[in-house]
Amino acid sequence: MNETVLSLKQRFALSRFIHGEKPVKGALTLNQRRIFILPTRQGGGFIVLILLLLLIALTYNNNLIYLLAFMLASVFFITILHTYQSLAGLVIKPLQTQAAFAGEKAGFGFNIQNPSDQARFDIQLKLETETLLDIPPHHHEKVLLFKSANKRGVLQAGTLTVSSCYPLGLFRAWSPLRFKLEALVYPAPAAVFSAFPESEGFEGENGQSKKGGDDFYGLQQYQPGDPIRQIHWKSYAKGQGLFSKHYGGNAVADLWLDYAQTLGHDVEQRLSHLCRWLIEAEKAGLRYGLILPNQKIPCRSGPEHQRACLEALALF
Amino acid sequence: MLIALGLITLPHSQHLPLPLFLFFVVLWTWRFIAIWKPEWLPGKITVFLLMLAAIGLLYSQHQGVLGRAGGTSLFVVALGLKLLEIRGTRDIYLIVFLGFIVAATEFLYQQNIVMAIYIVLVCIFLLATLITINGLHAKISPTLKKAGIIVLQAMPIAAIIFVLFPRIEAPQFKWLDAEKNQVTGLSDTLEPGAISELGLSPELVFRVKFDGDIPPPDERYWRGPVFTYTDGKRWRESPNRFFKRYMDTPRFKGKAYHYKLLMEPQNKPWVFALEMPAHFEAPLQRNSFYQLITTKDPTQRAEYKITSYTHFNTGYLTKTELKDTLQLPGKPSERIVKLVKQLGGFDLKPEQFIANLFNYFRQENFFYTLMPKKMENKPIETFLFERRYGFCSHYATAFVYLMRVADIPARVIGGYQGGELNEAGNFLEVRQANAHAWAEVWLHDKGWSRFDPTTAIAPERVEQTLDIEQQIATRTLTIVTPEVLHQSMDWLKQAKQVLGSVDYSWQRWIINYNRTSQQGIFKHLGIKDLKTIIYWLLVLVGTVTLILARFILKNKAQPVDQAVKLYRQFCQKIPDVTLNPGEAPYRFAARCRQAHPKQAETIDRIIQLFVKIRYYPNSPKETLEQLKKQVDHFSCT
Repeated sequence: MNETVLSLKQRFALSRFIHGEKPVKGALTLNQRRIFILPTRQGGGFIVLILLLLLIALTYNNNLIYLLAFMLASVFFITILHTYQSLAGLVIKPLQTQAAFAGEKAGFGFNIQNPSDQARFDIQLKLETETLLDIPPHHHEKVLLFKSANKRGVLQAGTLTVSSCYPLGLFRAWSPLRFKLEALVYPAPAAVFSAFPESEGFEGENGQSKKGGDDFYGLQQYQPGDPIRQIHWKSYAKGQGLFSKHYGGNAVADLWLDYAQTLGHDVEQRLSHLCRWLIEAEKAGLRYGLILPNQKIPCRSGPEHQRACLEALALF
Repeated sequence: MLIALGLITLPHSQHLPLPLFLFFVVLWTWRFIAIWKPEWLPGKITVFLLMLAAIGLLYSQHQGVLGRAGGTSLFVVALGLKLLEIRGTRDIYLIVFLGFIVAATEFLYQQNIVMAIYIVLVCIFLLATLITINGLHAKISPTLKKAGIIVLQAMPIAAIIFVLFPRIEAPQFKWLDAEKNQVTGLSDTLEPGAISELGLSPELVFRVKFDGDIPPPDERYWRGPVFTYTDGKRWRESPNRFFKRYMDTPRFKGKAYHYKLLMEPQNKPWVFALEMPAHFEAPLQRNSFYQLITTKDPTQRAEYKITSYTHFNTGYLTKTELKDTLQLPGKPSERIVKLVKQLGGFDLKPEQFIANLFNYFRQENFFYTLMPKKMENKPIETFLFERRYGFCSHYATAFVYLMRVADIPARVIGGYQGGELNEAGNFLEVRQANAHAWAEVWLHDKGWSRFDPTTAIAPERVEQTLDIEQQIATRTLTIVTPEVLHQSMDWLKQAKQVLGSVDYSWQRWIINYNRTSQQGIFKHLGIKDLKTIIYWLLVLVGTVTLILARFILKNKAQPVDQAVKLYRQFCQKIPDVTLNPGEAPYRFAARCRQAHPKQAETIDRIIQLFVKIRYYPNSPKETLEQLKKQVDHFSCT
């Protein structure tokens, strides 16, 4: 599996306890190598309690109080095992990620499987946001955790900390995990919407550009992905079904969003504008294409297309 | 949680001052109601005022918070106040911890098994509270179960630490132990005429475990204080406690009885050894009356190792003894002199006179009763000639008085007689009800010899009382009880004895486990210094932990997993194709199909089953069985 042998130095490196080991691609099973345990503040309080009881036992020479103190001490000790057990064996698998615009939060999906016969309680998963889970035996849970995406580009999932204080809250077992899991961060859409650029008729035969050509071509059965604006509501209202208006192919001018023609002082500003346009164009149900210095995406419309364009922007 | 806390404080009601306990109950009830009516919870100012009230109460009841009672009250009141302001998990932890302390203080008052079990149960409740906070679910029974399991698993380690943890003889803080337990016991004076009813308490005084045989019932005399001096009504110990005999030991004969004597807390330093103690260890001392005295605090339970012989000869009589044991309060009355003369006290040998006196007690109308009338004026004469109803002290004092009148040295011995054999634990239990008094007479060739005039009373003149407890008690006073009673009591007695036996072991091994017994164990194990103690502690705790770890963590390994095991088996059964690390089952199946086209169908079936089990959680058990069957039958040849 995803296990490599560690040297002694690596084994005791502080970062391993906080950030986890090198990122891995696949699923990780939590085991003694990845689970760390330390008493919580309540655990410290418990120790003070035990010492206090020992003091009472000593002053009164009372064996039963000794016994109670020793029992609590062993409970404390045993809890280490129980707390370890609350994490041990869990299998954590990275799932898909959810892209975000810069400044928003990107989502990272994880699957946590409990392959054992015992239910796991109070499992906390923390990335930037955190969530608490109970996982019944032989079940798995999917979680989506978020991390703020500040910069356009690729966002690494970073350290996912799985932890649990179950059963007594005297100890906290935690396991810092790093997966090779990255989310795309699109540029932040520009705050100001500037008018769509005039298409230079890059490939346009007519040398004309019109926003959403109005040469009505005919109605066609609605297909998923058709812009909402083009739905023929009248026929829908008559109960004839859902139709989309289709316009003359040639007449519909393609909107070309060209990096070179975008306003902006620097790369990021330009990308911001492009991003805003992409969103607006998709909303308007236009066919649009993207031209970047290193890449060209032909004109189309629909969510898939939009995603492809945004991805290109993110990775530019 | 509230219930758990209520349970914890409940036993404290017996010894906490009433106002304080009521204060806690009020706070607790308040909190309980607030579960449904949260708006009733007090504000900050009210809590502050309540706190002031609590301090006032504490001060008025205890004048401080040091010491047992004060400290206990402090924790109980703190717990009550804290209940009213629970804001976060931190407060709950604090309350649970306070709960543990209050539970522990319970042991300062009561140390029996029942209390211990009760406290353990309450602790389970408290731990369950913690589990409830840390688990999202709030179902009661699984959390209780989990807490129970944790406590159960903690027991062995607790036991190990208990045995090995070095005990320090704690300095006795006088200010911590202002009030002493009220312990009943034999008094250092004997005044039979002033008592109208002998309290027969079933309270345990001591227990004796014999290494070998147990002496027969009629030799079970446990020697206590020796009453020599009398003013006619009251009998007291002679002030001359340490004369020549102090250094001298009697000549012992016959069988030696080795035993361990576990004394319950007493207010007198008397240790009731079997007559006659020969060997004993510090802190025991023997005074000149052959009574054992402990130099340690008798209010603590203690165990002593003693050897006694029931046959002995104390030999000579010292001058002090002669003087002391012939002492009479003035001249005896004519009636008494006449009686002594009649029984041959002035002419016959002492032995003969004693036999006559015994006969007199038996043939005349003497009765044994636990409820004699008071005889305040000239108690001995009144008893001998008028009332003739009395218990052991009446007979013993009258006997000794008559002996002294006949110029025979005699004294009254207090102590216990008999003791019930606990068959379950094979030890004797001696209770307050076994308290007894008998006489000792000095004879020329025998030394001090025991005579028990109470045994002279005719059995039919022993008054029976209705109280069963008392009947048991009277039987132990060497007076025969009807056989019928004995049998009907059998099962009750057996149950009682088993309980008694458990309690004895409990007292001996848990409550009374101290530095001395610890050192005994250490000697056994070859432990000499702190280093070896720690070594033992680590090794034993480590071993137990390993066993527990195996037990607790075993679930992890088990489910990984029948299906995988079968799959691997299957992979090995296919020649020429080896499973690459990380290869997906379907891809592997494809390669297998290529290599063995004939088996393609079976391979597919197996792979599909495997994938079904492996990747779809909660697949039925039958699927696994199917897979097993398929893999077992599979072969490529």
